[in-house]
Amino acid sequence: MAMLEIKNVSRFFGGLAANSNISFSLEEGTIMGLIGPNGAGKTTLFNCITGYYAPSRGDILFRGQRMNGLRPDKICKLGMARTWQIVRPLAKMSVLDNVMVGALLRTNSLNTARELAREQLKVVRLDSKATSLAGGLPIGERKKLEMARVLATQPSLLLLDEVMGGLSPTESEEIIQLVLNIKKSGITQMVIEHQMRAIMRISNRIVVLSSGEKLAEGTPQEVANNRAVIDAYLGEFRA
Amino acid sequence: MESLRKILPHKTGSTPAVLFASAVAVTALFLFPKFVQNTYVLHIMILIFLNILMGSSWNILGGYTGQYSVGHAAYFGVGAYTTLMLMQVRHIPPWYGVWAGMAAALVVAIIIGATCFRLRGPYFVLASIAVTEILRVVALNLKDVTNGAEGILATELPVLSIHGTVITNFFSKVPFYYAGLVFVLLIIVVTWIVQRSKLGYYFQAIREDQDAASSLGINITFFKNTALAISAVFTSLAGSLYGMYVGFIDPPTVLGLELSVQIVLICIIGGIGTISGPVVGATVLVPLSEALRSNLITEELIKSGFVNAGSRTGVFLTENLAHAHVLIYGILVVIVILFMPEGIVGFMKKLFAIKKKESA
Repeated sequence: MAMLEIKNVSRFFGGLAANSNISFSLEEGTIMGLIGPNGAGKTTLFNCITGYYAPSRGDILFRGQRMNGLRPDKICKLGMARTWQIVRPLAKMSVLDNVMVGALLRTNSLNTARELAREQLKVVRLDSKATSLAGGLPIGERKKLEMARVLATQPSLLLLDEVMGGLSPTESEEIIQLVLNIKKSGITQMVIEHQMRAIMRISNRIVVLSSGEKLAEGTPQEVANNRAVIDAYLGEFRA
Repeated sequence: MESLRKILPHKTGSTPAVLFASAVAVTALFLFPKFVQNTYVLHIMILIFLNILMGSSWNILGGYTGQYSVGHAAYFGVGAYTTLMLMQVRHIPPWYGVWAGMAAALVVAIIIGATCFRLRGPYFVLASIAVTEILRVVALNLKDVTNGAEGILATELPVLSIHGTVITNFFSKVPFYYAGLVFVLLIIVVTWIVQRSKLGYYFQAIREDQDAASSLGINITFFKNTALAISAVFTSLAGSLYGMYVGFIDPPTVLGLELSVQIVLICIIGGIGTISGPVVGATVLVPLSEALRSNLITEELIKSGFVNAGSRTGVFLTENLAHAHVLIYGILVVIVILFMPEGIVGFMKKLFAIKKKESA
C-alpha cells in the first residue's frame, strides 16, 4: 500500500485553481521530488496535505486513512510532519527548546524530550548552538533547526518545503546528505526544491506541477527529458 | 549542587543563590506584620499582593501563551460578585464562596475561550474587551441579582474558626495580609510549575508562532483554553480577595476596562513572560499610584525643604498634583514602555548582561 495517495485533489481560491485535479502516490521509504515554476501550487498542495487548507475536491490518504479536514496537529500526531518554506523558528526560545517542543509530542517528560532533542541537534550538527536563541540564527542554521525540530516529532512521512532555498552550495550539500541519511533511517520524504541538481540527485521519483496542474511524473531522468517540462521551465522552443 | 542544577530548568536561571534570597524574602514578608502595625503600610502591602496575583494570573495567558487579553476584569468581577453575593444573600462564608467564584470564572473562561480564540492578534484583544464590556453592562442592569449600579456592600465578614478555635475575625488588616501573601506564593509556584513543564513549552511555542506550533502537533485551541482556564481561576481568586478586603464592589470597579488595563500594565511595566515581571511591576506601580493619588510627593518635597509650602510653586503643587495623578501616572507608563520595551525585568537583565560582558 502506498504511504501517501493524492487522489484528484483540487484547491480553489475564489475562481483561481491553485491545484487542479492532482493525483499521484508515494511509496514507503522513497523520496518524491515536487518541482515546478513559481506559483505552480507546490506549497498549496503541501498545505492541503498537512491540514492547513482543506482540499476543495479530492482525497488525501495517508496509510490508507483519509486526511481531509483533519487539524494540522492531528496529522502531525499521525506521523506526517512538514517544514516551512519561510522558516518559522520559535524566536524567543533557545535552539534546544525549539527542538524539545517537537520532541514533546511523543513524551510528557522534559528530560526524555531534552535527550531526544540533543540527539536530533547532533544529527543536523547544530548541537554547538543549543543554548542560543533561535531568532538569532543565520538562515542556514534556521533551516537545519526546522529539520531537527520536525524530526523530533518522529514522523514516518516528512514534507520538506524548500529546505535548500537561500543556502550556499556547502550548506546545500550538507542538507542533501541529511536528507539521504533520513531516507536511510526509513523515513519517507516529499521534497519541494528549486535546485535542480539537488532534486535530481535525491529523488526516486519526481512530480512536476505547472499552473496548478500535474505536468509530468517519473524518474528524474524521464522528467528531465520530458518536452512539456522543458517548455514549462524554459518557454516553448521556437526555432 | 551539580545535580540540583540539572534538575532545575536552565532557562529560569534558578541558582541556589536566587533560591536562598527568595527564601529570606518570603520569611521577612511573613514576619513583616509582627514589626509593622501601621495600617496604611499594611494596606499598601495588601494592594501590592493583589496586583501581583492579578498580574501573574494574566501573565500565564498573556506572557507565556501570547494571548493579550484586555478583558481580565471579567474573571476578577465574576469572582468578586460570586463570593460577595453568596455571602450577603445566602450567608455562605467567603472561604467557600471563593471556590464558587473560581468555578464561575472557569465557566466564563470556557465560554469566552470558545468564542474569542477563533480570533488572533489584535482581533482577539478587541473581542476580549467586548465580552467583558457585555458582562459589565449585564451586571449593571440585572438589578435583582447584582444590585446594579448600587453595587454590593459586604457588611461584615463571618468569623473564621476551625473546631471552635477562632482563627481570625477579620477586624484588622493582618488576616488579609497573610491571605494575600499565601495567594501570591501560590501563583508564583503555579507559574514556576507551568514554566518547567510541557505546558510551558507548548504555551511559549503558541506565543512565538501558532502555525509552527500546530505543525509540531500542538492542539493550539486546547492549550490556549488551558492557559485561559488557569489564568481565569487565579484572577477570580484575586477578585474574591478584593471583594472581601474592600467590602464594596460595583460594576465599574470590578468589571471595568480600567481594571483590565491595570492588570495588563502590571505585566508590561514589570516584564512579560517572566515570573518576576508581575512582582516587580506591582511593587513599582502600586506605591507610585498611591503616592500620586494622596499627593505624598508634594508633602515630601515641602518637608524636605525643596519647596516652600507658602511659595507659589508649593501652593500650585499642593492644589494640583493630586488632581493630575492619572496624567502623571500615564506619562510615567509611557516613559517606561518607550525606554524599557521589555519591562523593568528585561531592562535589568540586559543591563547585567552588558556589565558581565564589560567585566569579562
